[in-house]
Amino acid sequence: MSVHASAERVARPRVVGGHLERTLWTLVPFGAALLAGALVLLLSGRDPLVTYALLVEQAFGGHIAIGNTLAQTTPVLFTGLATALAFRAGVFNVGVEGSLYLGAFAAAWVGFTFVGAPGPLLLLGAFGTAGLAGAAWSFLPGLLRARWRVDEVVTTLMLNFVAINLTSYLVNGPFLAVGTANSMSPLVDPAARLGSLIPPSQVSIGFVLALGMALGFGVVFGFTALGYELRVSGTSPRFAAASGISIFRVIVVAMLISGLIAGIAGAVQVLGVNGRFIDRFSPGYGFTGIAAALLGRNTALGCVLAALFFGALSNGSAMMQLFTDIPLDLVNVLSGTVMIFAVLDVARLRPRRLREAG
Amino acid sequence: MLRVRLSAFLALLVLVLAACGQPAPSPAPTQAGGETPGATSAAALRVAMIIAQGGLGDQSYNDLANEGLTRAEQEFGIEAQRVESPDIVSQGEAVLRQAGTADFDVVIDLEWSTAEALTVIAPEFADTRWTFMNFPVNGDNVTSFVFAEHEGSYLAGALAALVTSDTAIPGINPEKVIGVIGGTKSTGIDKFLVGFIQGARDVDPDVEVLTSYTNDFGDAAKGQQAAEAMFEQGADIVFQVAGGAGLGVIQAAADAGVYAIGVDTDQSSIAPAAVLTSMIKRTDLAVYESVKRAIEGTLSGGETVNLDLAAGGVELGTIHPSVPQEYLDRVDELRQQIVSGQIKVWNVIEQGYPDFLSE
Repeated sequence: MSVHASAERVARPRVVGGHLERTLWTLVPFGAALLAGALVLLLSGRDPLVTYALLVEQAFGGHIAIGNTLAQTTPVLFTGLATALAFRAGVFNVGVEGSLYLGAFAAAWVGFTFVGAPGPLLLLGAFGTAGLAGAAWSFLPGLLRARWRVDEVVTTLMLNFVAINLTSYLVNGPFLAVGTANSMSPLVDPAARLGSLIPPSQVSIGFVLALGMALGFGVVFGFTALGYELRVSGTSPRFAAASGISIFRVIVVAMLISGLIAGIAGAVQVLGVNGRFIDRFSPGYGFTGIAAALLGRNTALGCVLAALFFGALSNGSAMMQLFTDIPLDLVNVLSGTVMIFAVLDVARLRPRRLREAG
Repeated sequence: MLRVRLSAFLALLVLVLAACGQPAPSPAPTQAGGETPGATSAAALRVAMIIAQGGLGDQSYNDLANEGLTRAEQEFGIEAQRVESPDIVSQGEAVLRQAGTADFDVVIDLEWSTAEALTVIAPEFADTRWTFMNFPVNGDNVTSFVFAEHEGSYLAGALAALVTSDTAIPGINPEKVIGVIGGTKSTGIDKFLVGFIQGARDVDPDVEVLTSYTNDFGDAAKGQQAAEAMFEQGADIVFQVAGGAGLGVIQAAADAGVYAIGVDTDQSSIAPAAVLTSMIKRTDLAVYESVKRAIEGTLSGGETVNLDLAAGGVELGTIHPSVPQEYLDRVDELRQQIVSGQIKVWNVIEQGYPDFLSE
C-alpha cells in the first residue's frame, strides 16, 4: 500500500497552491490562437474584433445557436475522451477515427435492419453493437502492442484508412440505399433516433451521454483501481510492472475502452444527427479528438472545455458565413494554432517553481 | 525528454492529419462577388448558397455551381453568401434553418444529404425560396433542378458509336465495341447508362456496349481496372459515370492510347488527347436560373425544373479534334431531333428499366 502511495506521488503530485496558475497556463493555447487569427484577419483587411464578436454570437447567441454548438461539441467530446483514456494509459491510440466509423456503421446497420423493433431495444442494440464494433476494431492494435510491442501509432493510424474505406465499400455496394446514386445507407428506423435536446437545434440527448461519459472518465481515474492501474502504467510502466500490474492487460483494456467510446461516438452521430450512415461523414472527429485530449491535458474537464472550443469554432464559423465573407481558412488557422500550442506543452516553458509543483 | 519528443511527434501528426482531413484550401471564394460596387441595383436580393461536401476548389460540382452564382452576382448585383464547412453533412440542417431565420430571399442547397431536412425546414420559412439540385424535393416554396442526363448521354453514345467504327481515327480498333462504367448500380446512374446505350444503338445497332460498375465513386484505381478490363475486350471508347473513380478511367484511356468520355464537367483538360468529349451537367446554369427566376418573380416553388438539352442543362463538352466534321453534324442532327421531340430518350427514373439493360 505504501509502495502504491509513493507511486501516486511520483505519478501525479498534488500541490494545491499552483492549481489556479496551472489552469491559467492551459488557457495560453487559446489566447495564442486568437492572436494568430487576429493577425490573419488584420492582414486580410478585416476587423478582428468585429469578426470574433460575430463568431461568438453565431456560436452562443440564443438557445438554437448554443444547441448547434453542443451538437458539434458532442462527437469531439467522445473522441477526446477516447483518446485521453488511451493516452493516460500510455497507449498512443490515434485510431479513434476508425473505431468511430465502424461504430457509426454498426449503429446504422442495426437501425435500418431491424425496422419495427421496439424503440428501447433498437437503441440498446444499436449502441451495444456500435460499442462492440469500435472496441473490436481497436483490439488488434492493442494486442499487437501488448504482446509484440508493435508500434500502435502506426497500426492504429493505418487501420483508420481501412475502416474508412471498408465502410465506404459497404455503403457503395451491399448497403447502398435503394434508388440513390449517393453513397449512404438507408435511413434508420425513426424509433432508433435520438431526440433533440433543444429543439429545433441539432443537439441530441447524445450530448448528455457524452457528458455522462466525461463524468465516468473522471470517476474511473479519480477513484477506481482500474483508473489507478491505467494511470500508473502510463506514467511509469516499469514501476507498474514491478508492483504487480499486468501491463499486457492494461494496454488491451485501455484500447478496448477507447474503441468502445469511439464506437458510441459514431452511434450518436448516426442516431442523433445524420439518421443514416453517410460515406466519409466524419470531417476528422477522431483527429480533432486527439487535439482535444492534448489540449485538455487528458482530463475529463479539460476534454469537455476543449471539445466545447472546437464545437463553438465549427458551428460559429459555418453560421457566420451567412453574414460575412469569411474564408474557411481562418477557421483552419485558429484550430491549427490551438493544436500547435496545445501539444507544445506550454507548461514546460513556465517558471521553475511551478514546474516542480505541477 | 521522451515526452518532449513524443509531444513534438504528436504535434506533427495532428497537424498532418488535420491537413488531410480538410478539403484542399480553396482560393478565397468570396473575392469574385463580395461587396460588388454595383450592388445598389433594384434587385437587393439576398442569396445564400450551401456548398456541398468536397467544398470549393473541387474543380467539379461546387466550383461549377459557384461560377453560376458569381455570374449572377455580376449581372444582377445581388448579395450572395456562400457557406462552406468540412462538416456540412452534420451541419447542413442547422445551416439551412439559420439561413431561413436570417430571412434570406433565396437559399440554394447544393448538399445532397440535406434533402430530408429541407422538406421539414422549407415550410417553416414560407418567405424564403429554396432550391435543390439533382432530385426533386417536395415543398410549396422549393424548386428542384434536375438534369436530363439521359439526353446528354444519348449524344455521347451516338458520338462514340460513330467514332468506334472509324479506324482512320488514331487509337480506334476494327472492333465495334464501346463501354460505360457506372459508379454504382442505381437508377440515378443507370439513367446515364441507358441513354448512352440507346444513343449508340440508334446510330449503329451492331455496336456492342459493355457495362460495369466500380461500386465506388472515389477510388481512381477501381475505375482504371474496370476500364482496362474493357479495353482488353476490344473497347476503344469508355464513358465514365463514376465521379472520382472515373478519373481512373480517363487515366487508363490515356495510358492505352484510346478514349474516355468525361462526365459532369468538361474533363477534356485532364487528358486532352484521351478525352473524346464530356457529358456536361450545367449546375452553374441551375444556380444562375435560380437567381434569375427569383428576380423575375418566377421562382414560385412546388416545381421541378427539368434542365434538358433544349434548355441547355446538359451538353457535350470539348470534342476531340480528330473527330471528323460529318460526325459532329450527325450528332447535332440527333440533338435537334431530341430537342424537337422526334427522338425520345429513355429515362430510367421515370420509366423504369428498358429491355436492353437489366435491373
